[in-house]
Amino acid sequence: MTTEAIAEVSHLTKAFGTVAAVEDLSFAVRPGEVCGLLGPNGAGKTTTLRMLVGLIAPSSGTATLFGTTVHAGCPELLRVGAMVEQAAFVPHLSGMTNLRLWWEAGGGRLHDADLDGALAIAGLGDAVHRKVRTYSQGMKQRLGFARLLLARPELLILDEPTNGLDPAEIKEIRNLVHRLADHGAAVLLSSHHLAEVEQTCSEVVVMSRGRLVASGTVDELRSSGATVRIEVDDRTAAAGVLRSLPAVGKVEIDGPELVVQLRDGRRSDLVAALVMAGVRVESVTATRDLEDVFLGLVDQSEQLRTSQAGQSGQSSRETR
Amino acid sequence: MIALLRTELIKAVRRTRTLVILAALIGLPIVISLAVNARSDRRPDRGEGLFRLASQSGLVVPAAILMMTSAFLLVIIAGTVVGDAVAGDAATGNLRYLLLRPVSRTKLLIAKAAVSTLLVWVATAVVALTGLVAGVVLFGWHGISVPFSVSDTGAGVGFDLTAGQLLARLAFGTAYVAFGFTALVAIGTFFSTLTDGASGAIAATVGVYIVSEILDAITDLGSLRYGLPTHYRTAWVDSITANSFSGDLKAGVIVQVVYALVFFSAAIVWFRRKDIRS
Ligand SMILES: Nc1ncnc2c1ncn2[C@@H]1O[C@H](COP(=O)(O)OP(=O)(O)O)[C@@H](O)[C@H]1O
Ligand SMILES: [Mg+2]
Repeated sequence: MTTEAIAEVSHLTKAFGTVAAVEDLSFAVRPGEVCGLLGPNGAGKTTTLRMLVGLIAPSSGTATLFGTTVHAGCPELLRVGAMVEQAAFVPHLSGMTNLRLWWEAGGGRLHDADLDGALAIAGLGDAVHRKVRTYSQGMKQRLGFARLLLARPELLILDEPTNGLDPAEIKEIRNLVHRLADHGAAVLLSSHHLAEVEQTCSEVVVMSRGRLVASGTVDELRSSGATVRIEVDDRTAAAGVLRSLPAVGKVEIDGPELVVQLRDGRRSDLVAALVMAGVRVESVTATRDLEDVFLGLVDQSEQLRTSQAGQSGQSSRETR
Repeated sequence: MIALLRTELIKAVRRTRTLVILAALIGLPIVISLAVNARSDRRPDRGEGLFRLASQSGLVVPAAILMMTSAFLLVIIAGTVVGDAVAGDAATGNLRYLLLRPVSRTKLLIAKAAVSTLLVWVATAVVALTGLVAGVVLFGWHGISVPFSVSDTGAGVGFDLTAGQLLARLAFGTAYVAFGFTALVAIGTFFSTLTDGASGAIAATVGVYIVSEILDAITDLGSLRYGLPTHYRTAWVDSITANSFSGDLKAGVIVQVVYALVFFSAAIVWFRRKDIRS
């Protein structure tokens, strides 16, 4: 891709004492993308996002917004709407006063902000004049969305935006993200919940224990490492065809079906190859969904890490 | 900067806590005035210093009240306001959102410290004004006549102060007391940047004042005590009880300025490079 990245981290590392919360992480978000930052709890998602908005200084590496290196309070933040962890406000002030003071603290007048649009999206009605102290977490989260939309941002950074919400609220927030993305904003959304990323995002960056594990489009990730069951008329011929494909790992015959390990590439590529070779394909099923891929990836990276730790000082084994 | 000052002021003032503080700032001087009144009825010439003079003129009552509250009530209030300034925002999580605005952390800290300072000054003025009203109602608007003065510097001759002079000395004392919280504001601002829990910062700030008062009472410490932030706290009292402006006043101002510079610089340096993890 040639378009300039809206947000980019490059070899980003952050250590808290001896713990590396983020390690050598690189990825980019480009215009129009809805990018998911996926990883289990403690993977370093929040730490990454905090560095991206200048709340935390990186130990090494860089975070850039709109091509400029991020620092605390940098002007590029005006073009970003961010929610880091849960939405939080001054509890003893009303939702409206919170929005106004937050906006005015940056030096603007409230009528320059997209207040009507923001309030419409928050959908709080008269409750916006109540003290935030009286809000439910869902209401706070919606007011949080209103706040980050005031500046008509070009990039949204959302850190587990549906955490702690009930299913109806989750659905609402998801629709909201879709609507915003449709209006052309790029989105970087962190989640430990795969289904959320799958439903919301076009791109995904998977991280585990502070490191990048995989990245690409959701489709690419879904097909990578998947197991596909294919029902065909001529199993032997089909197995031969599939084994010759570079994208295919192991092929086994299991009853009426072939069990195919897919390294990369798409299921449709397999079907195309079989059809070209004159094999009739009855059915194709992917037995692993993204959840398995995700867990597998995270698992692999952990195993790799522990085995590396165990082998330190015994480099001769690495040749195998 | 003006915008930050305004928004921080609104945040600090518009809360129930402000009303409670205001009630204390008005209530306590009234209670003290009534107590002085009750005592002076029984023993007209007992008590010492300001409290003895208080029964002569209502204009001395606010001075006596300032001396008392600057050791306790105003310290608690100043500690609460300033300790809460940054740590309170961190505790609610609002700090990280505030810092997502393109504002410099230095300016934010200056705005918060300025608002704290302003509130402490207002609190001091409210105490003095309430004391003035209560004092004049109970003891009248007179000058005072001191036959024989006793100050830190020793015994001196008697003197008279007119009502106008007393009022001027009172204004001076109020300003000195208010300025005397400068060190506390700087120390508290620093503590407030260190922690993400307001109560810790408040307790530490008030604690510093209490420890300073205790150390100041240990005369064995000698000249070390001159560096304590509370050592010159009552230096202004002599302007009323002994008609003298001692060199301690200047020393008191210098000590405040030095503490303010040191701790406020530390707060800025720390806050600018702090990782906001709250
Ligand atoms: N305040 C903190 N103090 C010490 N370590 C922390 C702190 N915040 C995060 N970490 C470390 O960084 C790691 C990543 O945390 P975080 O970025 O919050 O992960 P995520 O958002 O993916 O759940 C955690 O496993 C933890 O060890
Ligand atoms: Mg997190």
